[in-house]
Amino acid sequence: MNWQMHLPALALAVPLLGAFLSLVVGLGGRYLRNAWMVCVSIATTAICIMLLQRVLAGGTMVYVMGAESWNFTLPSGLSWPIRIIIQVDAFSAFMAATSSIAALAGAFFSLRFMDKFTGLEKFSALYFLLVTGMLGMQITGDLFNFFVFLEIASVASFGLIAFWRDRPEAVEASFKYMVVSTVSAMFVLIAVGFLYGRYNAVNIAAVARMLHMGYAEKIALVFLVVSLAMKSGAVPMHMWTPDAYAEAPAGVTCLLVAVSQASLYGLFRVCFTLYGVTAGSVVIPWTIIIMGVLSMFIGVTMAVIQKEMKRLMAYHSVSQIGYILLALGVGLLSLKDPQAMADYGFTAMKGGIFHILNYTMYKGLLFLSAGAVFYSAGTRDLNELGGLARNMPQTTFMFVIAAAAIAGLPPFNGFVSKLLIYQTTFAVYPLLAVAALVTSVLTLASFVKVFQTAFLGPARKTFEKVVEVPASMLLGMAVLTLVIVVLTLFPGWTLSHLVEPAAKALIDQSGYISAVMGGGL
Amino acid sequence: MWEKVYSGFGYWDVYLWLLFFAIASAVVLFIRSKGRSDYKEGTEQDEIFYGSNIVPEDGGDIAVPAASAYWGFVEALKPYYNWLIELHTGIASEYVGYFMLTLAVVAVLVLL
Repeated sequence: MNWQMHLPALALAVPLLGAFLSLVVGLGGRYLRNAWMVCVSIATTAICIMLLQRVLAGGTMVYVMGAESWNFTLPSGLSWPIRIIIQVDAFSAFMAATSSIAALAGAFFSLRFMDKFTGLEKFSALYFLLVTGMLGMQITGDLFNFFVFLEIASVASFGLIAFWRDRPEAVEASFKYMVVSTVSAMFVLIAVGFLYGRYNAVNIAAVARMLHMGYAEKIALVFLVVSLAMKSGAVPMHMWTPDAYAEAPAGVTCLLVAVSQASLYGLFRVCFTLYGVTAGSVVIPWTIIIMGVLSMFIGVTMAVIQKEMKRLMAYHSVSQIGYILLALGVGLLSLKDPQAMADYGFTAMKGGIFHILNYTMYKGLLFLSAGAVFYSAGTRDLNELGGLARNMPQTTFMFVIAAAAIAGLPPFNGFVSKLLIYQTTFAVYPLLAVAALVTSVLTLASFVKVFQTAFLGPARKTFEKVVEVPASMLLGMAVLTLVIVVLTLFPGWTLSHLVEPAAKALIDQSGYISAVMGGGL
Repeated sequence: MWEKVYSGFGYWDVYLWLLFFAIASAVVLFIRSKGRSDYKEGTEQDEIFYGSNIVPEDGGDIAVPAASAYWGFVEALKPYYNWLIELHTGIASEYVGYFMLTLAVVAVLVLL
């Protein structure tokens, strides 16, 4: 059998093995631990990119754990989908590849950034456990396993956010995230329970095939949508994000950005694949659109007044999630109307999915550059910072690229995805596009503030001895910078070869179902 | 690989923009090359003009702090910001409250 058949399982097995063996490898000292972290991260990224390549070439991959077929047939002839299934379509593979690149950059950056911490073998273990949970959420074909991976990711996040153990703020941020995350995870579990009770199945394709709307299904839909929106940081449930993103070590924050995208993935998988047109009314699409607009505007206006670099960036994360929710909400709104889907819905979805990729890259880079400033200058307070462009030219250069991309300045990649979102949301309701444009202007304003106060201005005596960060940290930032430059230079290729297949897979509910079930059930 | 991006309402061509930036950069460099290069470095000719005052040695003394950025914007939107900051209390039980409230509102809308 071709080993590439096992890529879906390897995408989970490699980081999971990396997590457990980190504790053993860590006994061999710092260099061995760092080498292990690099090797596992590169292997995971390579597997996810190969997985994407294979799915784009050959269609959806279905991997059944421990068996050859998705169903279990009793002697009576009764056949039921009870196996653990990994199902990777173009959207799942796209998300996994995007997230794994962010995880790779975060791992490179953490090698030296975490030097001052102790218990680093535990850090590596939690880091790879978080990667496992994130990738598992993106490629599982099973609702209950989605919950399990969500919990794995959450528990690992709690440990990583609080990793700076002697900082009370870090422990407090982790505690707050733990409280809201656990409550929302319980609602996800209850929703899965509702669906299991109704259909005796937790396989996404099987439930999607049988699903018809009743009270239980409606409640399950609400629980899933609101819980996953909270996990991705949508307004008005975003308040954990500034605390958690600001207090986590910078490499972890880069990964947390990708993890929030895994929650968004879950939200859209539920809306488009599990429910699809069955969801019926326009309440859920409009809920997602309104959450998107509120997230954009409230996120960016809160960012404008922040004086702490990572906190400012964290509020921008809320704002950028709003763009994605808005675009995919418009796609969901036009799901039932083929004409609307052809006119603007599909392009909005392409804009939203492209924005997921762009956002993960430039936001990851921004958090890493904030981490680099903190590593060298010892503070993230914008009132104290200034003139660092002289001391940290490479970090400044990469920060400017990321800031220009997030602000949607042409010709950067952020502009392309935002352009698609502006134009298509305008077709639905012009005020949506106005809100998106105003948000973009305010985004530019707040990053001009960061650039001016932290990097420009006269040299300060306090920072006379500040030097550029070590090479491995620059490498972590360079990975994301390179991806941003490629996305900027080849937006047409990216859209037609990566984004469009992902968008098609997301709206092709019957394709997702038949890839697993065929004509069964 | 080099194709334009069509949105259904217009298109985006990154290479035209790069060409524009290249031309604009060439024009800027040309204008800069026409400037005077006969000033004397290290004399008062290349000193910062600071309103006829002595320039402080530490840059921190003349920098505008981040807290002062967009003062007018924030002042104009003070009622909005007061409301917004009041919402962000940092209390975990309120985080859960906002989650439950959203859940309840969406549930009512969907079930009705």
